[in-house]
Parts: sequence; structure tokens; C-alpha cells
Amino acid sequence: MNNMQGSSLLKYKNYRYLKVSAGMMVLSIVVYLFNEPVGGHPFGGTWLGYTLGVVSTLILLGLMWYGVAKRSITGTPDWSMIAEHEGMAGSHQRPAHGKSSVNKGLRGSGMLQEWLSGHIYLGISLLVLATLHTGFHLGWNVHTLAYVLMMLVIFSGFYGLNAYLNYPRLITLNMGEDTLDDLLLKIAELDELATARALDLSDEVNVLVMESCQETRVGGNLLQQLSGTQRDCPTRFAVQHLMTLGGHYIRDDQRKMLRDLYSLLLRKEKLVLRARTEIMLKARLECWLYLHAPLGIALFSALAAHIISIFFYW
Amino acid sequence: MISCLLIHVTRNSQGLPISKNSVISGEILQIGRGAACKIHLQDHRISLLHATILRSEEGGLYIDAEHNVTLKVDGFITLSADLVPGTRLEVGPYSLIVEPETEHHEITLSLELIHPLPAVMQGHVPVNLAALGWSKRKFGFGMAAIILFLFMLLPLLPAASNALDKWQSGLPVTMTDSWSPGPLSGGHELFASKCSTCHQRAFKSVTDEICTGCHARVSRHLTKADLEVQAFGGMHCTNCHIDHKGREELVLHDSSKCVDCHGNIKDKKTSTELANVNDFNLGHPPFHLTFVSDSGAVHIREDDKARLIEKSGLKYSHQVHLAKDGVSSPQGDTVMQCQDCHKLEESGKHFAPMSMQKSCQQSGCHALDFTDPVTGLAPHGSERAVMNSLREFYGKWLGVSADNLAACKGAVVQDCVNELARKNAAATLFRKDLECGECHEISPVANKDVPWKVTPIRINRDWQPGAIFPHNRHDTMKCTDCHDKVESKVSADISMPGIAKCRECHVGNHPAKGKVASGCDSCHQFHRTAVKPEN
Repeated sequence: MNNMQGSSLLKYKNYRYLKVSAGMMVLSIVVYLFNEPVGGHPFGGTWLGYTLGVVSTLILLGLMWYGVAKRSITGTPDWSMIAEHEGMAGSHQRPAHGKSSVNKGLRGSGMLQEWLSGHIYLGISLLVLATLHTGFHLGWNVHTLAYVLMMLVIFSGFYGLNAYLNYPRLITLNMGEDTLDDLLLKIAELDELATARALDLSDEVNVLVMESCQETRVGGNLLQQLSGTQRDCPTRFAVQHLMTLGGHYIRDDQRKMLRDLYSLLLRKEKLVLRARTEIMLKARLECWLYLHAPLGIALFSALAAHIISIFFYW
Repeated sequence: MISCLLIHVTRNSQGLPISKNSVISGEILQIGRGAACKIHLQDHRISLLHATILRSEEGGLYIDAEHNVTLKVDGFITLSADLVPGTRLEVGPYSLIVEPETEHHEITLSLELIHPLPAVMQGHVPVNLAALGWSKRKFGFGMAAIILFLFMLLPLLPAASNALDKWQSGLPVTMTDSWSPGPLSGGHELFASKCSTCHQRAFKSVTDEICTGCHARVSRHLTKADLEVQAFGGMHCTNCHIDHKGREELVLHDSSKCVDCHGNIKDKKTSTELANVNDFNLGHPPFHLTFVSDSGAVHIREDDKARLIEKSGLKYSHQVHLAKDGVSSPQGDTVMQCQDCHKLEESGKHFAPMSMQKSCQQSGCHALDFTDPVTGLAPHGSERAVMNSLREFYGKWLGVSADNLAACKGAVVQDCVNELARKNAAATLFRKDLECGECHEISPVANKDVPWKVTPIRINRDWQPGAIFPHNRHDTMKCTDCHDKVESKVSADISMPGIAKCRECHVGNHPAKGKVASGCDSCHQFHRTAVKPEN
């Protein structure tokens, strides 16, 4: 990419939402600094506190409505939709289903891009508005819970923005025209070839090949996907030790067979590395959404409790 | 030579066995992955040479496994076993069963792969986050449900039931704790577990009646009730007293609301005698000192020097008592300190009233001895008490001897006693500038029993009753930093510092470098009738 494409989102309509967001942040900071609240201590219950709270709530509801509306319209995972919209790499791996004509209409109109640009900048503005709303009074209560959840949502969004700006390019560099399924198929083919070659070789070689086939892991649980590595990878181990086991072969056909096997395992190692990298980049690209969206829902409920509590015990 | 019928068993798609026979023979029968093995098993889990079937010295057949390979007989790992019909062997992933003997072959073995290789890698391992089966929606709504239960439903419940409210208030963590936006002020902390103490009606703010339910004796700001209503009619306790801001924060400390009225009070109330006040540093009138007299309190500006004279009735020289070389006393020259007489009360605001006994006679000074023939100390504080003591003495003294009685020269005894007492008092106590007269103004009066009058003492206790000055918070300073009358020779001198002295350290509402920001409530209280100064 694509930085140019990504930055087009940030530069949308000559930084319209950056200007709106920055304006709100500067204005609220200036008013906060010059305001002298009754009691001398700023908090959410002063006129400025209530104003900041109401504005923050409205922005938050708008941002959440964006998430709900987008999901109901597109039915596709968020990042891929963004990537597709931006013409980013990796999008060709996404299934084609779920893209309704409504979505295409939105894409054509640029509304989605506008919403997303607004989502990013207005979300950042909450960092300042909500913090000033608290008056820096934090405690073990539902009010601080709502604030902390909001900060978590915002910072997970920062991660998402960074991921969205960088990982699609890395995915393209890593995968080229291949897909993960292609790589896994190739790896399976190489495993078959290697096992066939190894049958006629020594037990030690067979053990290496068998462990490479059976215990090489691509993917796995969350941490394994995010790390993109396997500790003591059997394939890499096999590559490193295979040739040292061939010293006692005196027949040419056996030596040739060992070299062939080495070549197969070497190709497999590179494919495994690419597959793991693909899974790692995708996982890192998507993982933030497993926090951003659920924490957003939790935030909504905490915000509701926060507002109800304030007015219930007025 | 061993002749063996080998039955290869495989399974079709329905799992039914399909057998394929072959005959092998040899002196020994090797089992392994190697091409030289008679029983050739192409599987990585089989060694090149895995085991060998041999004939024993007794003529029977047995199997002997190589080292570091797996051979199980009837489920038990072993290195060798006799091969008799019914023996079930496991050679790596293969099952090898010795079948009943046949006519043509010495041994019949059925061979089946019972542990096929698992599928290679793909298929079972998740290769993306979606495959982990996590649901963002379930996670989010799960958290939301927990939050709504703990932080919305539970805190609401006590409002529905007094019994529940009472019960939950005794819990270590109450159901409503999560709603408290901050610690309550010190005096209200005991209500922290029971919100309904103050928040009695849902969606209604705390009313003044709830506050005055406990604080029934809180005083108004203005003395006149109609003025109070006019000035503060639309205000409530909670306008100024915002709780949940910490232990010390219930009282409003900023001056904005004070200045709202007092900044331009002459426009708001044209008949007022109060001056406009905006800020201690920039818009505060000079101090007024309050003099209490029989006709009431009089307030005099600090710069009206001609009127700033204290008429205490006492003659006193600070210069003599605070002399650097000390003042003469029975113990010799004693260097006195301010605190020897001015003792701060526990409140830290005012000084305890001085007394003759505690302040003047404590070290033997100003002892007030009677003179010969009268013995003992004269009582202090009452002219009549002094005279009664003398009369009592002389009454007894005349009866002691005829010589003493001769002092009456034939006069009536009662008159004689009075005269002797008067003479003694005039000679030793009620003297101008000596004894009693050293400190008091004494004037003769036409009273036979008590012919002298000591001017009553009236030492001003509170020069600025409309303000609070905590001496204890200024104890890093010396008394003389503010009270500069160390050289004063007369008690009429007033040693109260003016506003300029305070401003050396204090500024008004806005902080300034090197100064202490001081709002109205640094010195004044709202719930207290204001003292009206003269201009």
C-alpha cells in the first residue's frame, strides 16, 4: 500500500474530522483551564462537567451506532471491509459472500469512508473530553469503570488503526498471489514426498521427517497465532540436522535421496514460515476487534449505569 | 526353515475386513521397514529392523524385538515372546495375531494396521482467530450483563425495600458502593453505606429539609430574616455544600459566591453600611477593630489611629515586662516571653483570659503582702474583700492584749477596727502608683466600709469577631512579626496588625508566586451573623 490509501482515510475531505475533533479538544481544554467551578474542584457535576458529559455521550452513541449500522449493512468482518474499501491487499482472501448491494452503494458514495474517518477522530476526541469530564476524580465505582472501559476501547482502536495502516502491506509482501490454503496444500504435498523419500533412509532420518510431518504446527491458539512461531519447530530442526545424519551413506542413490529430502524440507520450512507469518499478521490485524467491539458493548452498559446512578441519586 | 502364512488384513469403507494372503519362509523372519525384511512394513513408526521371528532350541518359535522399538504382547511391553496360537502382538502401529496352526504352514500370522497415521497438520489446528470459536458478541453482551447486574440492578434494589436497604448497609461492601462518586465528607461518613439517609427520593435532589433535619441549629448568614430570604431565597444547601468530594471538601472554599453579592453589595442594597469586597488582595476594606463598651460594640478602622485606644482600666508596660535583660522578680531578673501571659486556648484561635493569680503572682511577683501587724496576702479582685480581711484581723488583734486595745484610745471598738483597717489599706495597698495602684486606677469614694474604687478591668478578648484568625496555623512565625508593641509603655496601645501585614503573605482568590491564596472563608464564616463595621 498503501500508506497513501490509508492516509486518505485520515485525510478525508481535507482533514474534516481532524479539524472538528481538534477544535472540540482545544475548546474543552481552554474552557476547563479557565473555568472556576463552584467549590474550586472540577468534577462531572459542574455545568462544564455536565456539558462535557453530554457531548461525550452523544459522540459515543454516534460512534457505537456507526459500528452497529456498518455491521448490519455489510455483514463482513470489520477490517476486511476496510481493507476492501481501501483496495488493500489481503482482501482477495476474503469470501465474497455477505457483500450486499447496500454495501456497494455505501462504498460508491464514500459514506463508509466518511463514517470511519469520523469514527477515528471523534473517538480520539473522547480521550480528552471524557477525561476532562471526570475532573481527574477517579475511584472504585461505576463512573470510573465507564471511563476506564472507554479508554480501553479508544486505545484498542489506536492499535486497530495502526494495524490497519501497516499489516495489509506486510500481508501482501508475505503472500504475494498465494493464499493460506495454497500454502497448506503445498506443505501437505511436501510432507507426502518427504515421507516417501525417508522410508528408505535410516531410522534417525525417519524420526526427523515424521516429527516434521506430525508435529509442525501452523496456527494454534491465540498466543500461538499472534506469535507466529513454534518453539523447537520440528521442521527447522529437521533441516538443521538432516545432513549431519547422512555421513554414513556410501551409496550414491542414498546420498541423492538425502539431498532430495533436504531440499523438500527446506522448501517446507519456507512455506511454513510464510504460513505462520500470514496467520500472525491476520491475527494481529483482527485481534483488537475482540476487545474493541465487546468492550464497546460493555462500555455502553456501564455508561447507562453511570447516567442512571447520577440522576437516580440526583 | 520357518514357513509362514501371512494374512494382510485391511478394511473397506464399511469397516469390513479384507484379507490378502502371502507365504514367506526363511531361517529367520525379519520384521521391519527395510527392504530386506520378509515382513516388510512401510511405516515410519517401524524401524528398518524392528523384530525377528526365530526358532528356539526347544524347537518352538518366538519373536525377539530390537532395542528401542515397541513390541507389545497381549498389551504388555516386552522384548521377546513365544509365538503360540492366540498370541496377540503389537508391532508399532500394527497388530500381529498368531492364528491357529494349519497343515501347510508352521505358523499363520494375521497383520493389520490398527493405528493409521493421523492426518498431517491441517484440519485440526485453528489458522485464524475466527476458528478459535470466540464470539465478540457473547463476550461483549456477557460483560454488559455482568455490569448491568452489579452496577445497575443491585444498587437500585435497596431503594425498593427499607429492610433490604438496612440489611445491605451492614455488608462490608454494600450494594450501592459502586454508585458513590467519591468519599463523603468526614461528618457524613457514617451514612456512606446507606444512600437513602440523604437521597430520600429517587430522581430528586437532596433538599434543605434533609440537611436541617440534623443541622437544626445552623445559623443564618444575615440577621434579618426578610433579608435572608431576599438574598438567598433561591439557594439550597447543596449549592455550596457539595459532598462526595472527600473528607475535607464539604465546605465551599472558593469565593465566587461570596463575591457575587459582596463584590457589589452597595448596588444590591443601597442602605448597607458594608463595603464592596472582591478579593482579599485587590478589593478588601481596611480592618475594623471591635471595641466593646457598656453601650455596645464599636468598630473602628485600623487607620483611625486617634481612636484606636484601648481603655482597659489597667496600667501595664510591655516594655518593662519584655525587657531583654529581664524584669526584676523574687527569683532575680527574669526574661519573660509573650507566652508567659498570653496562653493560646486549645481551639488555637483565642488566648485564655489572664488572671492575677495565673499571670502576675505565679512567680511570686505582685504578691500583695499586707504590712505589719497584718500578716498574709491580700485577696485580689475585690476592694470589699480586702477591707473585710483587714477588719477581721483587727477584730481579733484588739482582743489579744490590753496594749493592742489601747490603740483605740477609748473609741468604740467597731469604729476602731474600721479605722485601723482603713489606715492599713491606705498605707499599704490602695496607693497611687504603688501596690494596687501600680496596675490599677484607684479613686476614693464616699463609702465608709470600702472607701476606694478600683476601675474595672475590661481587656478586649476579640478584636475582630467577624473573622477567624487561627494563631496555631501561624506558629512558624514569631509573635512580634505581627504584634509590634514590644516597646509599648502603656496599655492603651493596640498591637493588632493591619491588613497590609496579612497581605505580606496572603493574596486573594487567585494564587500568586510566593503567596498563600486566601479566599473569603480563610477568615470568614458564612453561617454567622456578619459584623457591621463603621466606614
